Amino acid sequence: MATLTYLQAISAALRDELRADERVLVMGEDIGVFGGAFKVTDGFVAEFGNDRVMDTPLAESAIIGCAIGAAVVGMRPVCEMQFADFISCGFDQLVNVAGKMHYRQDLAVPITVRLPSGGGFSGGPFHSQNPEALFMHSPGIKVVAPSTAEDAKGLLHAAIRDPNPVCFMEHKHLYRRIKGEVPDEIYETPFTARVARPGSDLVVIAYGAMVEVALQATADLDGASVEVLDLRSLVPLDEAAILDSVARCSKVVIVDEANMTCAAGAQVAALIAEKGFEDLDGPVVRVATPDVPIPFSPPLEQAVLPGVDRVKEACRDLLAY
Amino acid sequence: MTSSRTETLVDVTMPQMGVSVAEGTVVGWRVGVGEAIGAEQTICDISTDKIDTEVPAPVSGVVAEILVEVDQTVEVGTVMARIAVEGDAAPNGDRAPAAPAAEPEPAAAAESAPAADSAPAEDAAPAAAADPAPAAESAPARAHAPGRRYSPVVARIAAEHGIDLSTVEGTGRGGRVRKQDVLAVVNGTGNGHAGGAVEDPPLHIESPYRPDPPAPARAQVGAGGEASGVVTGGATLPRMRRVIGERMKQSLDTAATCTTWIEVDMSRVEAARAKLGVTALAFVARATIDALREHPALNAWLNGEDYARHEFVNLGIAVSLGEDGLIVPVIHNAHELSVEGLAARIKDIARRARARELSADDVLGGTFTITNPGQYGSIMATPIINQPQVGILDLEAVIKRPVVVTDQDGNDSIAIRPMTILGLSWDHRALDGALSAQFLATVKRRLETLPV
Repeated sequence: MATLTYLQAISAALRDELRADERVLVMGEDIGVFGGAFKVTDGFVAEFGNDRVMDTPLAESAIIGCAIGAAVVGMRPVCEMQFADFISCGFDQLVNVAGKMHYRQDLAVPITVRLPSGGGFSGGPFHSQNPEALFMHSPGIKVVAPSTAEDAKGLLHAAIRDPNPVCFMEHKHLYRRIKGEVPDEIYETPFTARVARPGSDLVVIAYGAMVEVALQATADLDGASVEVLDLRSLVPLDEAAILDSVARCSKVVIVDEANMTCAAGAQVAALIAEKGFEDLDGPVVRVATPDVPIPFSPPLEQAVLPGVDRVKEACRDLLAY
Repeated sequence: MTSSRTETLVDVTMPQMGVSVAEGTVVGWRVGVGEAIGAEQTICDISTDKIDTEVPAPVSGVVAEILVEVDQTVEVGTVMARIAVEGDAAPNGDRAPAAPAAEPEPAAAAESAPAADSAPAEDAAPAAAADPAPAAESAPARAHAPGRRYSPVVARIAAEHGIDLSTVEGTGRGGRVRKQDVLAVVNGTGNGHAGGAVEDPPLHIESPYRPDPPAPARAQVGAGGEASGVVTGGATLPRMRRVIGERMKQSLDTAATCTTWIEVDMSRVEAARAKLGVTALAFVARATIDALREHPALNAWLNGEDYARHEFVNLGIAVSLGEDGLIVPVIHNAHELSVEGLAARIKDIARRARARELSADDVLGGTFTITNPGQYGSIMATPIINQPQVGILDLEAVIKRPVVVTDQDGNDSIAIRPMTILGLSWDHRALDGALSAQFLATVKRRLETLPV
């Protein structure tokens, strides 16, 4: 066990996989000599060489397309999008080629696409987005979003070893802010939800950076017993864990950092409305970013992103209902 | 229709506030006879032995009668007032017997029926005139709680347990019945039915027996030993005192109460509490919770032959309300809290208890109780178990005493140590003395080995 930051945990998982499995290779913009925009792959090229740590052109479609080809012939490529926002340029390769390959041709595409996502650091509208729901909507792609260092490593191991294309949503705001004990060995975190804190009066359902926001917002809510459920995986979505929390708590607040409409939380809300109806003791409440681009201006950005105060207010209001 | 408008009277009854409350006292009326009131608006304030609260009007209308005076105490279910409701439904209500078997069809359906039938207009007219009866039926049914809607979980739990939701007092916004409210009723009745021994009333429901009020004159003389001033209004014991008396006597009549004591060296607690700035009670509470997890036999309820252990610790803390009496608010899921968390919650419930701000939820569901009257220097007590729990821990004063201590080489010496005596009253029906001693030893060990 070592105490690692969220970012170090991701590096550790990549390094362990490169050492353990010669089929694994990493590719992306400036990930080689420069070590990556966030230094996740710092020092990798020296250890593994530029055949396995590949600097690519600024062409996301080419990165994912190459990875698909390599995967089909037996490799296990891990692509880094410099920012999750840039995935739009690789959308067709990921959604139409990778996601449907197994359905069309019975070929597995074991690629992992790392997507540094999320805002909170004045990155502006092109460097702060949370595009995960786009891929939840596309059959054939798994989507995971760790909130802790331990899960960041375990989920990345599991993603690389999974036979499907997996979008690995790593939250930039957590990179150096979240630390935790991380096992040294390789371990696979299951694609299931995790109860971050048990409770009985209300459950806050969140993933990624919003888990920490939820925990802080509900640490002391006038003595209420508030559960926090960390989804960890969006596809597959752990329906049993969600419905279990709803049955226990009967009041639900769902937090998304993504724009509100059709976000992951909307799917969770729909699931609860359909399968958890008889356990509800209040409206299903959502807290999310309004449907606007993420502003560069720090105060404006703080105003649109769901923060501790907004989550707290939503919980208080629902608890009183 | 408008020509024959009449009024329907809707009763306002003393609500059931949790299972153990059998009666309430009207503290004040917010409206007078002849005044209008809206549904869910507060009509009066009441006081029960558990909490003080407001009673919402069940319907909108005009107050027709007030039947219970201020300061009068009546049983749950007693009609306190009547509200006159005016409406088209009422005249049809007179004709209700004509269609008594009609199922409560939605009023809207009844109204739309004539409209849909409008093609054979002439023929339909007489039928339509007779039809409104079902609508009339639904009106009085709704009169119990108009505008009261129940969430899916509340409706489901009520259906599963056969609970009439119109009798359940809501603690949510605008008097809304929350899941907690209906569960409080279920837990009460559930315990009652589970044993199957119908003749034994559940122990935590107040006995219907009411002792005669003490003779006023003699009671005054007896109590007036130290003060010659006449206490105002003191013909009978205050309500809260009376209820406490009944409960305590009931507990002693029910449980086979024994008390076991253990001496504890509080040096480490004193050091740790000085550092954290919290009371010794919080440390004792934490150690007690740990000991309850280790010895779950004490974290239990005993109702007649029904013995149930609890997975979670809902810790009751006795709070003195001065001369008025004593209340035991409950820290729910206390096992999840750290010492600091417990200290904050103890402070909070004590403040709210003294400000009379506790809700019904705050005093229900305790699985074990701690009482701490040691601030005046008393050193031992024999506390009475809070039914249907099976144990209560008493923390008295911490006093410096000379004690024999042994160093690691086995040499004895006399040292000055802050000592206390923890007393555990336990129910010999549920457990035996060895277990109570083990429990106390666990509390002692945890307090004496606190990391400093």
